Amino acid sequence: MKTFTPPPIRPGIHPRSGLGYRIDHGVRSSVPFLFVFFATLVLSAPLNLPGQVELMPAIIMATIFLWSVFVPALMPSLAVFVLGIWADILSFGPAGVMLLMMLIVHGVALSGRYTLARVNFFVLWLVFGVVMVGVTALQWVLCCALALHIVEFLPFVFETVLAFGSFPVLYVGFVWTYRFVVNNADRA
Amino acid sequence: MPVSIQFRQALGKLVLPALILVACGVILLGKADRGLIEKLRMNTADLLAPAYGLVAWPQEKLRWVSGNLQDIRNLEAENIRLRAENTSLRHWYDVAAALADENATLKANLHWIPDNAPTFVSGRVVRDTSGLYARAVLLSLNPDTAVRKGGIALDGAGLVGRVTEVGRRSARVLLITDSSSRLPVTLESSHAAAIMAGDNSALPRIIFYPQDNVPIEGERVVTNGEIESLPAGLPVGHVHYLRPGQPVVVPAADLDHVDMLRVFDYEDSVVPPDAPGRVPLPSGGGTMPLPTHSDQGLHG
Repeated sequence: MKTFTPPPIRPGIHPRSGLGYRIDHGVRSSVPFLFVFFATLVLSAPLNLPGQVELMPAIIMATIFLWSVFVPALMPSLAVFVLGIWADILSFGPAGVMLLMMLIVHGVALSGRYTLARVNFFVLWLVFGVVMVGVTALQWVLCCALALHIVEFLPFVFETVLAFGSFPVLYVGFVWTYRFVVNNADRA
Repeated sequence: MPVSIQFRQALGKLVLPALILVACGVILLGKADRGLIEKLRMNTADLLAPAYGLVAWPQEKLRWVSGNLQDIRNLEAENIRLRAENTSLRHWYDVAAALADENATLKANLHWIPDNAPTFVSGRVVRDTSGLYARAVLLSLNPDTAVRKGGIALDGAGLVGRVTEVGRRSARVLLITDSSSRLPVTLESSHAAAIMAGDNSALPRIIFYPQDNVPIEGERVVTNGEIESLPAGLPVGHVHYLRPGQPVVVPAADLDHVDMLRVFDYEDSVVPPDAPGRVPLPSGGGTMPLPTHSDQGLHG
């Protein structure tokens, strides 16, 4: 027989508990992780999109940057690490370079988040651009060092520009996801 | 375990630096032990190969339909061109038949030992793993077939690349345009030996050609048999000068859209006889000019 629990003193304040709620909450919280995971998977498939190779780091970096700045609880360092290993396995580049780039972007966003979360969108965009330039330069240096010869520079410039350009789109997607998917548990 | 809040905060701050250190460790590990990373990647690619094939299928159908539509538009012009080509080809057929006859007669007179027919495996390209650093494709293969590292991949028109990693159901083929690809080639008209070096662009460069016998624009480039796993005479492409003093090879194979590849196994096709004083080659990466090779007399 179901036991009777008295109604709470202030109804609506306490979150609903129970298995259904916890599953719902868990799925909503893992949306950023799952998004990056599947974006990496889909962009590694042979879609023959122009600039597909450069699009993958662009989308990954922008997404990690945004979630690390605004909701670091849903993009913890360990999740970034797992995603970095996943991206490295799927991308056939020098091992560990993507992983290091993602962790650096995450770290920069995390350390500056009290400032970055309050600034104007355009300033945030600019900051992301600067971070991207630095990280891609590091990637180029590492690739050259690991390949023991100078690697062509232009694809890396293209990667940076693509990341910079796709940032507003991902920002809109982030705001929408945060407002209507992640943070909407009570109205669902 | 009860832990004080301060301790937990300090621990939380240490996670990211620790992970960055681990990432540096992964980079070093990838450099020190390439085999481990490659095995991991090939296993993942093996798992995903059917899914990649599923993605590639509708694209191929779409390309086929659009190609058909274009063909229908150009039918008239195509017919005229084909008729002209057909007459010229008929002439060449007669020439080829006469030459084949003559060749057979000469070989019969010379007690010619025929080459072993190489075995080959065909596979569909499921994914272009070309990135910022490499030019390579992933080939989906039947698990029962034996493809070995060092196999030679050809499409209908010419040399495509060499197999560098082999998984259970897939193999990775490093294209001749990759920056780490170096192949010994022969230039057919000038009879010069040279090295074809990829540089991640669509046109691999020709280097180390003799300075008194420079490559001629438009001449055919074929492989020469200086390395054991690659026989002489496979078509590679033709010479083109980007600017004076910079000859490149225009590959005969369509490297932008590789669909189906045949992987030939030429390994051990010529086994040098055991002789006293012969130093056995180290396994893998052994190169040695073979004096008994069949085409030596034609190109050398």
